[in-house]
Amino acid sequence: MTRKTLERCAPLALLALALALPLAVQSATYMHILIVLLFYAYLTTSWNLVGGFAGVLPLGHSAFLGIGAYTSTILSLQYGISPWLGMIVGGVLAMIVGVLIGLPTFKMRGAYFALATIAFAEGFRVMVENIDKIGPFALNGPRGLQIPPLGFGLGKMLFADKEPYYYIILVMLVVVLMLTAFISRSKLGYYLNAGGEEPEAAMALGINVARAKLIAMAMSSFLTALAGTFYAQLNLYIHPKSVISLDLSFEIAFIALIGGRGSIAGPVLGAMLLRPVSDFSRIYFGDTLPGLHLIIFGVILILVMTFQPRGLQEPLTRLYHWVIDRLSSDRRTA
Amino acid sequence: MLYILEDAINGILMGSIYGLAALGLTLIFGVLKVINFAHGSLLMVSMYVAYWTITLSGLHPYVALVIVVPIMFVFGYFLQDIVIKPIFKAEKNVREPITVIIVTTGVWYILDNLTLLIFGPQYRTLQDNPLRGKMLEIGEFMLSVPKLWGFGAAVLTTLAVYLFLQKTDTGRAIRATSLDREAASLMGINAYKIYNLAFGIGTATAGVAAVTLVPFNNVFPTVGVLFDIKCFIIVVLGGLGSIGGALLGGIIIGLIESIAPQFMAATWAEAIVYGLFLLVLFVKPAGLFGVKNDW
Amino acid sequence: MILKIEGMTMEFGGLRAIDNLSMEIAPGEIMGLIGPNGAGKSTAFNCIAGVYTPTSGRIFFQGENINGKKPWDLCKKGLGRTFQIVKPFASKTVLYNVTVGSFATCKRRSEAEDKALKVLKFLNLDDKKDLLAGNLTIADRKRLEVARALATEPQLLLLDEVMAGLRPSEVDEVVEMIRKIRESGVTILLIEHIMRAIMALSDRVVVIQFGKKIAEGTPDQVANDPNVIKAYLGDDYVVS
Repeated sequence: MTRKTLERCAPLALLALALALPLAVQSATYMHILIVLLFYAYLTTSWNLVGGFAGVLPLGHSAFLGIGAYTSTILSLQYGISPWLGMIVGGVLAMIVGVLIGLPTFKMRGAYFALATIAFAEGFRVMVENIDKIGPFALNGPRGLQIPPLGFGLGKMLFADKEPYYYIILVMLVVVLMLTAFISRSKLGYYLNAGGEEPEAAMALGINVARAKLIAMAMSSFLTALAGTFYAQLNLYIHPKSVISLDLSFEIAFIALIGGRGSIAGPVLGAMLLRPVSDFSRIYFGDTLPGLHLIIFGVILILVMTFQPRGLQEPLTRLYHWVIDRLSSDRRTA
Repeated sequence: MLYILEDAINGILMGSIYGLAALGLTLIFGVLKVINFAHGSLLMVSMYVAYWTITLSGLHPYVALVIVVPIMFVFGYFLQDIVIKPIFKAEKNVREPITVIIVTTGVWYILDNLTLLIFGPQYRTLQDNPLRGKMLEIGEFMLSVPKLWGFGAAVLTTLAVYLFLQKTDTGRAIRATSLDREAASLMGINAYKIYNLAFGIGTATAGVAAVTLVPFNNVFPTVGVLFDIKCFIIVVLGGLGSIGGALLGGIIIGLIESIAPQFMAATWAEAIVYGLFLLVLFVKPAGLFGVKNDW
Repeated sequence: MILKIEGMTMEFGGLRAIDNLSMEIAPGEIMGLIGPNGAGKSTAFNCIAGVYTPTSGRIFFQGENINGKKPWDLCKKGLGRTFQIVKPFASKTVLYNVTVGSFATCKRRSEAEDKALKVLKFLNLDDKKDLLAGNLTIADRKRLEVARALATEPQLLLLDEVMAGLRPSEVDEVVEMIRKIRESGVTILLIEHIMRAIMALSDRVVVIQFGKKIAEGTPDQVANDPNVIKAYLGDDYVVS
């Protein structure tokens, strides 16, 4: 096979593997772990659109997750509206909020944006915890919302088995990956990269940097909110601390950064490498050594940032190209 | 009315301690141009150091200053030198290195969870505490004595840092670096060493804050997170990098926290603080007092 | 006139960096802007390119008043610039850097890359197109800076010390490059410290000191102007 065909086939093979995986996994626990892994890969890839390409540091993405989760759950519990529709409504709401945060802060030093996202997410959580009702919408304050497992089916995004959830999040991940790949090769991707790296030079080359970042922020917050609906439908229970937490916001950023911000595969690689660490340390050391996985994350993060600032995807990409090179018939002699 | 006045005064006292806690954050930002997300954790570590120093030695809580402050200076100095400096070096072409910010969050997670592993989640309060619940009665007012001392410590430390930056050669070198790193290195100033110093001093001021906090504030692994976010808010209110602004920003937060609960649920007061923060960020990002760097 | 500046003044907190500066550039011209260190040359550039809005005075670009216009809008109108301290997108390839510039006038990546390749070829940088910009030599970084600006298809190009720090042989190459750019129809405003280059290239030269224009004319006229000699060498050297 030639290099080109190989490079084209590799992602397809990976996708086929992902599609077939549920056939091999029988245990519901492992299935759930896989679903959560894909869920994180989706979140970090969505984060990457603004955190990676635009060169800013959003640290409050769980707020968008919360907006998505609460919007679709309230709409479906109180008005019987399908979560699929509620998902879009939540996405649009999150997008508006994301733009409102970015609008004033993208013109300032990056530190302000990072702080604004944290403050918004924390303030939003405090609000949700304090509000039982906004007008006709019941939020239930700290007690959260429960989705009764009644009336399964695709339209209600509610299933008795895990498999459908697996395929839904897999499709979402593939779509957001394709979108990322498309953007990184488009004018917007060039503009985001340029504006993130050298804003003054970018402006002189005709780029409205703040506007490019806003577009990225809008997309990222929209996509993140969609995952909120998925989270609610998967767990059937949401409360402020579960969907809007600083820890979650940071974990998303950590995974994406360790994997490699600004690359397409980086955030997914990060989730694949780090989620198991956190799952297994929680399963095996959760009682004796609480918080161990966060220490491991912290150490990995510092090591990666020190020695491989572009993330683990860099050496792994090199390895991948080397393997492809070995396998292909038209090997480069270089 | 009298109650509100009393609350206001207590709010100012507590707020000044918040300001003291935030002082190091604003100093470090002023020099390194990096938000140190581990600042709250450094405060937490300082509180543990203070707690154990006082508990094991049986000294008066405030005597612990002479031990806590040097320890925290050294801790901060080498944290910057060993963990953060290499990233600055790796990204020296980047004007505002995001990786440095993210590494400080890594430090936050490590410190908080290591403390959790070592000392467990329980809340600790000083035993044999001569300051516990001590109140000063001035006419109709009841004022907390440890908070009064805290107020004094906050004002003195802020003044000391300010004078240090204005009057000493080292202080001038720090200021030069904060204004223009490249120009400073041309004048023979080793910027990385200045960074170490700034980080050390910033952490040492967190040590002062910790010693004033321990007599009346519980010590637990996530105590830093509470202060962390407050500190972020304070430094933005006061103007990122402004020394005096930290104290004023802290007092504003203290006042809101003490007065707002008279009129609404306490948790809503917290929401108001976040709201004010976002408002200032959007409307007057240079801070309420409009001074970016007053040194 | 492609660029016309009328009484431009720029103040920073009471400090006057540019003082009532007026000048004009005709299409196809190479205009040199010189002056001692701190004379306000770069500030003038930044005012023209939209980084600063002048405190008073007016700037016309192709007849249009451009006061207060943002840098990216000006770029799209045909005003390109380089920076004295080069600002490459260091983690990206040379081709990527230049493609960012050519996106100013087109939407599709294939088109933008084609245009970028043409610019690279024009400036003899095409053999380095796959190198990372951060790994280039100073001379090549300066050329990349020009290539990027050129890729936006400017009518007027502001070059801010593109020869500073180069070896004499490299300076000659850049002089040739600038001539070639002018021949392709681009008007050029040049800030430069290297007098040999300024004198060889410029059709006219404007000299500023303390933000004020002290002389204007052909390179020869300016070189013999007593005010200019005084500005550069100090009072002691003036033979009256």
